[in-house]
Amino acid sequence: MENMHHANIRAVMFPFFEFVYSKNKLSLSVCLSVCLSVCLSVCLSVSPCCHSLSLSLSLSLSLSLSLSLSLSLSLSLSLSLSLSLSLSLSLSLSLSLSLSLSLSLSLSLSLSLSLSLSQSFLVLEDTSSQPSLLCVSAGTEPEARVLDYHITYSGTVLQLSESRLCFADLAQLVLFYSLTRDVLTFCLYIPPWLLSIARQNVQLPSRPKPESWFCKPPDLNTDDMTDLVPSVVMCSIQLSSANGALCVINPLYLQQHGDSWLTHQPTSPQPCNARRGRRMSASRPWPGAGLQSKRAISMEDPSPFAPTDDAGIIRAHSAESTPISLTLPSLTSPPSPTSPPVAVVLRRPSRDAATGDLPKITAGRCSLPTSILSSSPTPHFPPTSPALGGTRRHSGPPPQSPHRVSWVEDGVWLAPPPSSRSSSSSSSSFLLSHPPSMELDTLSISSIEEEPESPAAQSPAGQQISAQRLADKVKNRLSAVGQALGGLVSQQKRLINRVTELSDRKGGAFAEALRGFMETTLKGGIDPGQPRGSEFLQEVRSSLTALREVLLDCPEIQVLLDSMADTPDSEMDAMVEQCLHKVALKPVSAHLYSSLQAARDHDGTLANLRGHQRVLGDQGVEDLGGSAGAGVPDGPALERVQQRWAGMHATYSPSKKVGVLLKVCKSVYHCMTANASPGSVFGADDFLPCLTWVLLRSDLVTVQLDTDYMMELLDPSQLQGEGGYYLTSVYASLYYISSFRPRLAARQLSVEAQISLNQWHRRRTLLCHQSRQSKNRKTLRRQQNRDGDMEAQRECEEMNDVVEITDGESAAPSSGEEKEVQQQAADEAVARETMSDNKAEGRSELPGGCLLPREQDALSGESEDIKPAGCGGEEQGTLEEVKEEQMEEEEQKGEGEDSREQTRAEDELSHVSVRRTVNHDVMWANQEEADAAFQSL
Amino acid sequence: MALRELKVCLLGETGVGKSSIVWRFVEDSFDPNINPTIGASFMTKTVQYQSELHKFLIWDTAGQERFRALAPMYYRGSAAAIIVYDITKEESFQTLKNWVKELRQHGPPNIVVAIAGNKCDLSDAREVSEKDAKDYADSIHAIFVETSAKNATNINEVFREISECRIPVLEASGATSGRGFQLGRQASESRRTCC
Repeated sequence: MENMHHANIRAVMFPFFEFVYSKNKLSLSVCLSVCLSVCLSVCLSVSPCCHSLSLSLSLSLSLSLSLSLSLSLSLSLSLSLSLSLSLSLSLSLSLSLSLSLSLSLSLSLSLSLSLSLSQSFLVLEDTSSQPSLLCVSAGTEPEARVLDYHITYSGTVLQLSESRLCFADLAQLVLFYSLTRDVLTFCLYIPPWLLSIARQNVQLPSRPKPESWFCKPPDLNTDDMTDLVPSVVMCSIQLSSANGALCVINPLYLQQHGDSWLTHQPTSPQPCNARRGRRMSASRPWPGAGLQSKRAISMEDPSPFAPTDDAGIIRAHSAESTPISLTLPSLTSPPSPTSPPVAVVLRRPSRDAATGDLPKITAGRCSLPTSILSSSPTPHFPPTSPALGGTRRHSGPPPQSPHRVSWVEDGVWLAPPPSSRSSSSSSSSFLLSHPPSMELDTLSISSIEEEPESPAAQSPAGQQISAQRLADKVKNRLSAVGQALGGLVSQQKRLINRVTELSDRKGGAFAEALRGFMETTLKGGIDPGQPRGSEFLQEVRSSLTALREVLLDCPEIQVLLDSMADTPDSEMDAMVEQCLHKVALKPVSAHLYSSLQAARDHDGTLANLRGHQRVLGDQGVEDLGGSAGAGVPDGPALERVQQRWAGMHATYSPSKKVGVLLKVCKSVYHCMTANASPGSVFGADDFLPCLTWVLLRSDLVTVQLDTDYMMELLDPSQLQGEGGYYLTSVYASLYYISSFRPRLAARQLSVEAQISLNQWHRRRTLLCHQSRQSKNRKTLRRQQNRDGDMEAQRECEEMNDVVEITDGESAAPSSGEEKEVQQQAADEAVARETMSDNKAEGRSELPGGCLLPREQDALSGESEDIKPAGCGGEEQGTLEEVKEEQMEEEEQKGEGEDSREQTRAEDELSHVSVRRTVNHDVMWANQEEADAAFQSL
Repeated sequence: MALRELKVCLLGETGVGKSSIVWRFVEDSFDPNINPTIGASFMTKTVQYQSELHKFLIWDTAGQERFRALAPMYYRGSAAAIIVYDITKEESFQTLKNWVKELRQHGPPNIVVAIAGNKCDLSDAREVSEKDAKDYADSIHAIFVETSAKNATNINEVFREISECRIPVLEASGATSGRGFQLGRQASESRRTCC
């Protein structure tokens, strides 16, 4: 079948070109241009109501003869197959002939794209059945060919047969593959001018006539189209005014477009809008979307597509009968048709706005006296993507400058709590009543500058001054940045203020719980019977989780969180967590650190770290396993890293600490790649040695304590992503350093690492599960919950393994830290293991410790010093690194009684270890030998 | 559309091209802003699989022998592990077998194992035959592909097959309709019996 398609492609296309070729000279040049620079594009529009699919193919050619040819091809399945080809020149006759040719085939019609630009493509329909073919040109190289991808249609969705991605319609598919290639070799290429047509087309009926593809949009600026790279740029709203009253400039916009547009008349403000449209369409839907589409306001000259704008203005005016403008003083005069054009784009209307009459300006602070068009129909947006409706472009004559104003309606956002007065003074009340969910790009008018709170306090003179000040570009830029940050901070602030208030409230549930937490925490950790700092911190973590539940139960918090319903769950989680850190963790963090330190001192980790830092300190990154290509931080960079570590230590919040940690990792990465050859990719193979190198030049003890602190106290949900990865990396690196053994492969290490991690991970996931179960959680996600269940279930299974492992470690004194888990060990497991334990202990108490060359490892943990004193001398000469030693085990057995005895003990322990702790290194090296040795005993 | 996060761990000897594979997989991501920017050792990419979005959280590990013991910290909780070897280095294939053993012993239960023979563009220097590797992969019911990060061969396929395996394993709750082998439970059972 596939081959048949191919055959048809050639059969149809070549006659076509040849025919044109033989016609006359003019068409010859056309043909040549087709061969040279076919800018072929397919625009597809699928009308959702019927199954007919209209496929329009547009060929646009510009010749040196200024001959322009447009070819439109329309395929409609509902009419079986009909093709309409038209030429802007008098070539229609010849083309219609070729058309009849293709009709006669009435099978799949295809074009040979091999001569066209790489990545141009064509979608073909098979008339007999739904599946169609996507042909992509692979370029102009000699080996270039047309790649065919079958599009399968499974009733509701379309997908490439090679891919798993499904799309509701062909347009989505094509658009998607024009942005990312997935299974394709290339992204599909959609020429910029076609995009412009598409954009123009938003005003056209959903099924454009073939002719509509001919004419280039008259007011189209193709230069702008090149800006439409498929990148997602967070777009800030821009506030400015013709009179220089208001101006908030998106720094990103400035970065991309420069600021020349401020001084001269821009040709088109559309790119920004287009981007916003992209962003918004990708964001979550919200209830007020439908309204927004009606209220997408253009304050510029009336859109040519909205003929009833006059009525709209009047209506809007009447709705805003009392425009009190405080921050728009120059606009306080009643609006008139000649008032300076100001573009107004509603950014994110509140949910209440959906039911409200018309935008009320918050607290009457900054009502806009400009007009509102509420009657612009937006029929070109499908109802499924209402967000787009709010972002329709302004296609009217360009304004004096691209002024865009956003405002926020009053209503849903709560007034700041009484206790948050302190924050009100720093950030205006308007800011506080801002939608909590606003992104960086949502800037409000009034908060650009910190105006006095009371409207009455403002004199016209002051307004004038402020207006002038606002006109200042630099100021605006700063304001925008500051505001962008302030917007985020304010949400957090509100929440923190509220939580602080709750924590101070006598008799409140949360305050009581908090008090209990403090007492327990401050009492804990200093108990000598509780040697493990991490266990203590684990308790703190679960208390924190419990505390969060109490907090989320508080009605005030619930209301507050409800008002942020469209904030991403993860953000909300992080904010609540942040508040908890502040009220609960901050007062006890010093105590937590001291107990952590005591615990780490107790288990010898800190001593190990200090000792091994000296041993390893002078090693280069290659000695640590890194590749030569990767650089390491130089002096100043290292200095900055040290400062960051210090900053990390200073903060009390684990999530903030992780933020700093990520910065450190980023600068380490930066230094790695700074001098590297371009194109080299550095993965963990290079990063871990480099990180170890950096750590060895840092205050290891502090970093270790901080790492423990983070690992134990972070909200489990925050350990999933990047933070979790790099935290694990630091943890692993520290572990490598602290358990480094000069001449020994890390064999014991793996067991310890596994136990440690097992325990840690199990707790984390259990906690995570537990915290996900809260019924009051607004941020609960069903999917995650289900996964959480699975995870917990799996962890339960893993717990068995933990028990086994821990039990196996009981022979080693150094594993005393696992006592608690040991107690949980199944009785029969203990009984089963006892015999072999005794047997093992009879020969050697330590599986790995006895191998330590004493002279080089003076600083290893005291527990490991217990046994080896006796046997160290026996081994010194014979034992190599563990792996080698085990490989050469047979050899060693022949070397002498003592060493054989020792080796046997070693093997036996290895075996026990294999059986119970499942030491993988041993497994790898010689499980079989170990088995044999054990049986020989 | 449901979003599922899949933690994928990359294992394999140093120099076999683990990070190149990730890089190649992630480089044309739909939204560069979503991608973490710190480095190639941790990358994410979201792809659509049937009616779900799968967000791959790709954890790279250091392949050096000295860091091998740290691997459990990384593959804990992974939904899948991609073990990479270099088809021009027989030794790296042996190392791969060790990784498989280790995952059997310590890896999360039901972890999907994918074996990727990287650098298949260098077929002149091939030391590991495709058939041997394929047979081995079949014997452990693992996904097998030969990839080339350089030519972007089969990179997406690896992840797509992981997506494929993940669905039945999770949803059919134990039904082995997927190709991912179920390591954990079997392994632990056999461990108990031989004690």
